Amino acid sequence: MKLDSKIPAGRLEEKWRNYQLKSQLINPANKKKLNVIVVGSGLSGAGAASTLAELGYDVQCFCYQDSARRAHSVAAQGGINAAKNYQHDGDSVYRMFYDTLKGGDFRSREANVYRLAELSAPLIDHFVQQGVPFAREYGGVLVNRSFGGVQVQRTFYARGQTGQQLLLAAYSQLYKMIRAKKVKMFPRSEMMDLVVIDGKAKGIIVRDLVTGELKRYAADAVVLATGGYSRVFRLSTLAIGCNGSAIWKAHKRGAYFAAPSFTQIHPTALPQSSEAQSKLTLMSESLRNDGRIWVPSQKDDTRKANDIPEEERDYYLERRYPSFGNLAPRDIASRAAKERIDAGYGVGRLKNAVYLDFKHAIERLGLDTIKDRYGNLFNMYMKITGIDAYKEPMQISPAAHFSMGGLWVDYELMTTIPGLYAVGECNFSDHGANRLGANSLLQASVDGYFILPNTINNYLASTLQDQHADINHPAFDKVENEVSAHLQRIINVDGTKTVDHYHRELGKIMWNECAMSRNKVGLEDAINKIIKLKEEFWNDVKITGSVSGLNTELEKAYRLADFIEMGILMCADALQREESCGAHFREEYQTDEGEAVRVDDQYSFVSAWDYNNGDFKLFKEQLEFENVQPTVRSYK
Amino acid sequence: MKVTFKIWRQESPDAKGTFRAYQVDDLTEDMSFLEALDHLNELLVLKGEEVIAYEYDCREGICGQCGVFINGRAHGPHNNMTTCQLHMRSFKDGDTIVVEPWRAASFPIIKDLIVDRCAFDRIIEKGAYISAKTGTAPEANAIPIPKSVADAAMDTAACIGCGACVATCKNSSAALFTAAKINHLNKLPQGKAEQHQRVKEMTWQMHEEGFGSCTFTGACEVECPEEISITNIAEMNARFIKSKIFG
Amino acid sequence: MALNPLFFRKTIIAATGLFLCIFLIVHLSANCILLLPEDVARGLYNSYSTALRENPLIKIVAYILYISIVLHVVYALLITIRNRKAKPEKYTMNQANENSSWTSQNMGLIGIMILLFIVVHLANFWARIKLGIGEAPGFDADGNVDVYEVTYSLFQNIYYVIFYTVLMIPLGLHLHHGLKSGFKSLGFYHQKGLKTLAKVALIYAAIMAIGFGIIPFIVYFK
Repeated sequence: MKLDSKIPAGRLEEKWRNYQLKSQLINPANKKKLNVIVVGSGLSGAGAASTLAELGYDVQCFCYQDSARRAHSVAAQGGINAAKNYQHDGDSVYRMFYDTLKGGDFRSREANVYRLAELSAPLIDHFVQQGVPFAREYGGVLVNRSFGGVQVQRTFYARGQTGQQLLLAAYSQLYKMIRAKKVKMFPRSEMMDLVVIDGKAKGIIVRDLVTGELKRYAADAVVLATGGYSRVFRLSTLAIGCNGSAIWKAHKRGAYFAAPSFTQIHPTALPQSSEAQSKLTLMSESLRNDGRIWVPSQKDDTRKANDIPEEERDYYLERRYPSFGNLAPRDIASRAAKERIDAGYGVGRLKNAVYLDFKHAIERLGLDTIKDRYGNLFNMYMKITGIDAYKEPMQISPAAHFSMGGLWVDYELMTTIPGLYAVGECNFSDHGANRLGANSLLQASVDGYFILPNTINNYLASTLQDQHADINHPAFDKVENEVSAHLQRIINVDGTKTVDHYHRELGKIMWNECAMSRNKVGLEDAINKIIKLKEEFWNDVKITGSVSGLNTELEKAYRLADFIEMGILMCADALQREESCGAHFREEYQTDEGEAVRVDDQYSFVSAWDYNNGDFKLFKEQLEFENVQPTVRSYK
Repeated sequence: MKVTFKIWRQESPDAKGTFRAYQVDDLTEDMSFLEALDHLNELLVLKGEEVIAYEYDCREGICGQCGVFINGRAHGPHNNMTTCQLHMRSFKDGDTIVVEPWRAASFPIIKDLIVDRCAFDRIIEKGAYISAKTGTAPEANAIPIPKSVADAAMDTAACIGCGACVATCKNSSAALFTAAKINHLNKLPQGKAEQHQRVKEMTWQMHEEGFGSCTFTGACEVECPEEISITNIAEMNARFIKSKIFG
Repeated sequence: MALNPLFFRKTIIAATGLFLCIFLIVHLSANCILLLPEDVARGLYNSYSTALRENPLIKIVAYILYISIVLHVVYALLITIRNRKAKPEKYTMNQANENSSWTSQNMGLIGIMILLFIVVHLANFWARIKLGIGEAPGFDADGNVDVYEVTYSLFQNIYYVIFYTVLMIPLGLHLHHGLKSGFKSLGFYHQKGLKTLAKVALIYAAIMAIGFGIIPFIVYFK
C-alpha cells in the first residue's frame, strides 16, 4: 500500500486554506444523520467531540476514567505555545514552524507543522473565550514565558496547571453539548477493539468497566483520541491508566503505526526511589526558565547540596550548550543528565538524579516572584518528597514522557483505515523525533478543535450514500467474540505471577534498551527478551476475579498484553533506524562530543508499520523539505 | 515497615460492606500510600483472593480520581493533599490504618473503595461553561482582564473535582465544589453573560442531587487539595442572591 | 425554578439568627441594671420592663422575636434532617476535630441545649409575668410589676444560678459560630471583612456568654 499523506498543493502558507476551500461540505440536515464515535475525552477527544457536536453531528464519547475531566491532558503543567508575538520579540508563525520542525530533528512533515503553528494563535483566542484563566500582566494582557528549544517567549500558561485549565475548558464545552443532547458520554467505558466493515471503520466494542459487559457501538466514523503509550516503560510521567490498547487494536485491524520508537524522555521528573514505585512525577519544564541544573564536579560527592561551593558545581547544560543553556530541548537535556549520572556524578540516595537549583533565581527575582510563578510546583515537590525546594535544590531525573510516535495519519488526520481518525498524542503527526515543550497541549487542541472538524466531512460526505452500520452486522459478532475469548484466555492462564511483575520486567527491558540511548545489540536482545516475556505472560500470569464485574487486575492485564506486543515493534523500529535523531539516539551514530548524527540521505522518512499478522512490515513515507533545509540541529 | 490496613470491602452497590484487616510486612517509607495498596493487592492475587478496588489515575495530585478516607480524614492525615500524594513516611511502623470510601448519599459506592461521583458532572452540565462555539472567539487580548481577577479566577478554577469536600463535610454539602466553578466563570468578563442563569441552575442541580446544606464547619477547605477557600461559598451565596434579584 | 431549599433555609436561619444576636445586646444591656445597688435597680428594672410590655412598637418587635426563634428552630430542624439524609452512613473513624471546630460540627446539639434553656427561662419569667401562670408577681412602690423581685428570688436558688450560668457556655459557642457563618450565608465574602468579623464574633460571643452568665452569680451574692 502506498502511503499518501494528501498534502494539499500550494505554497506552505496557503496549504491549509487551499485544503479548506476544496474540501467537501455536508449540509446541516445531513450532518444530523451522521454519527461519530470519539474514544478518549482529553483535550483532543473532548475538543473534537464538542466541536463535531456543535457542527451538528451526533457524537458518542468514551473514556475509561470515572469522568471526562480526569483525562491525562490534565497533568500538563507548563503551558501552551502560540505564535502571537505578544512579547514583540521577533516571533512569527514561520519561526514557530521552524522551531518545531528543528526541535523534531526534521522528522516531521512541513505542511503539518506549519498548520500547527498557524492555528496556534486562534487557539489561544478560543481558550480565553472559554474562560481559561491564563496568567496576566497587571494591565490585563496575557503573559508569556519561554520553554525549551526556543529563544522567544511564546508560551501561555495558567500557573503550573495549564493542562488542567485547558482540559477543564474542553470538558465544560463537552458537557455543554451533552446537555444539548448532541453528545452522549460513556465514562468507565474502555474501547476493546475496532470493527471494520468493508474496509471502513464502522464501530467499536467497549467494555463497561463496572459490569464487565461487552457492548457494541456503531458509527459512520471513529476518532481515536487515546493519548500516549509511554506506560510501556511502566515508570513514566503518565497516568497509571494511560494505555496503548486502543491504537494497538486499531493497528492490528490495519492501521499503520508510525515511528513507534520516538518516545520522549523528559529531563525534569522526580527520581525513582524504590522498586515499588508506580509513577515518576513530572516537574514542569518551565522550571528550567529560572532554575539552574547542576551536579557536583567531583564524583561521588557526599556533601549536602547547599554545602557544595559554587566553584565545585558543574552547570553542565550551560557548559555544553552556552546559547540555550538550561533551556536546551528535552532530548538533549535528558541525554546530558544521563551522561552525568552514568559517569558517576549523580546525586541523591540512589545517585540517579541531578540538582535543579533556584538559589540564584530567588536572589535575583525574590521569593515572591518565584512563588507566584511556580508555587504549586514547589508545593507538589514538598508533598511528594517532604523537601522544601525554596531552601535546597530539587532533585530531578529523566523519565519516560511523551510518545511522538503513534498511528500514522495523513494531512486529514485519517489513519490507513478509511473512517478511522487519530487525534492528539495517539497519532504521529507534528513533533517528528522530539516534541518541544508546550507543544503537546497545542497539538492535541488544534487536532481536536480545528483540524478534525474540518477534515472529517471530506470522508463523511462520501459515506452519505452508504448504509449506516448496524451493531447486528456479523462483523460485530466476530469482533465481540474475539474480545470475549481474549479476556477469558487471560483469566484462564491462572499462573503464579502478578500483572505488575510482568509490567516491571517489560519496563526494565524497554528503559535499558529503548529509551535515552539505543544500540543494535541491545535492541536485538530486547526483542528476544520481550518475545520470551510475552510467552511467560501468557503461560504464567495470575489474575483473580472474573471477566464480569469491576476487575482492576483484568484491566491492567489486557492493557499490558498490548504493551508487550507494542514493545517489540518499538524496538524493531529503533533497530531499523540507523541514525540518531531527536529522542532516538543510536550510540553507533554520534560525534566525538556525544552529539547525535542524523543520516538524512537514508532516513529522512516516517516509518510506518503494517501489523502483518505480527510480522511487522515497514513502509516509508519520504519527507519532502521544500521550504526548509534540514541542518545539523545545534543548540550550542 | 509493617502496618495493618483495615479496609472497607463491599462487593457491589447493594451488598453489605464490612471491614477486613490485612497485615503487610514489607513496606518502605518511600512508598506512596497507593503503592502500598498496590503491593497489598499483589499479595492478594498471589493468595488467590480478589483484589481491593480503589481509584487513581495520574498519581500526581491533579486528576482528582483518587480519594479515600484514611484514619478518619479525607485523603489522609495531612491537610490539602490528595491520597496519591500521601506517603508511608506519614505513618509509623506497626500502625493500623483504617481505609473507608467517601461516604455521601450522592456518591453511592460502586465497589470497595470506589464511589460514583457523576453527580459532580451533572452539576457541571448545568452551566459550568461559556456558551461560545469553537471558531467564534475574538482576539485574546481584546478584553483585558486585570491580574487580580485572573488570579482569583485561577484560585477557584484549580478545583480537581476529587470530592473530598463532600466526603469530609458532615452534611455532604457540595457547596465548595459548586462555588469554585461558579466563581471562576462568573468573575471573568467572558462568563458574565450567563452568570445569573449559571448560578441558579448549577445550585439547583446541587439540590436535586441530594447534597446537604453548607453549615460552614470549614472542614472542606482544610481537606481540599487545591486549598480552595471557604470564602468562595459565601461568594456563591452572594451571587445566588444577586441572581434572584437581577436574574 | 422553585426556591432552592439549600439556600432558602440557610438564609432564614442566618437572618433570624442575626436578628436574635441584636436582641441579645438589648437584653444584656437591660440585665446590667441588675448589677446596680438594689434601691436604684429595683425601680429602674421594673419601670423598664413595664415600658417594654406597654410600648406597641416593642410589642411588634416581640412578635418578630417569637417568630424568629420559631423559624430559626424549625428551619434548623429541616436542614438537619436533610443533611442527615445526605450523609446516611457515618464514618467508622472520623477525626473531624482535626479539620474543624467542635462547635461547628455540633451546632444542632448546642442549639438544643439553648432551646432547653429558653424553655426554662420563659417558664421562669415570661410565663409568670405575661401569662400569669404560677405564683403572681407583686408590685413595687411605683405600681409596676416587680420583675426585679421575680429575678432576685429566682437567683437565690443556687441550682438556677448554676443552670443559668452553665448554659451560657453553649450560647457563647453558638453565637460565635453563628455570627461568623450567618454573614457568610447571607453572602458577605469580603476577605478582610471576614477576618474582622471573626474577631468581632469572638468578642461578641465572649461578652454575651460572660455577661449573661455572671449576672445570676452577682445577684446571688448581692
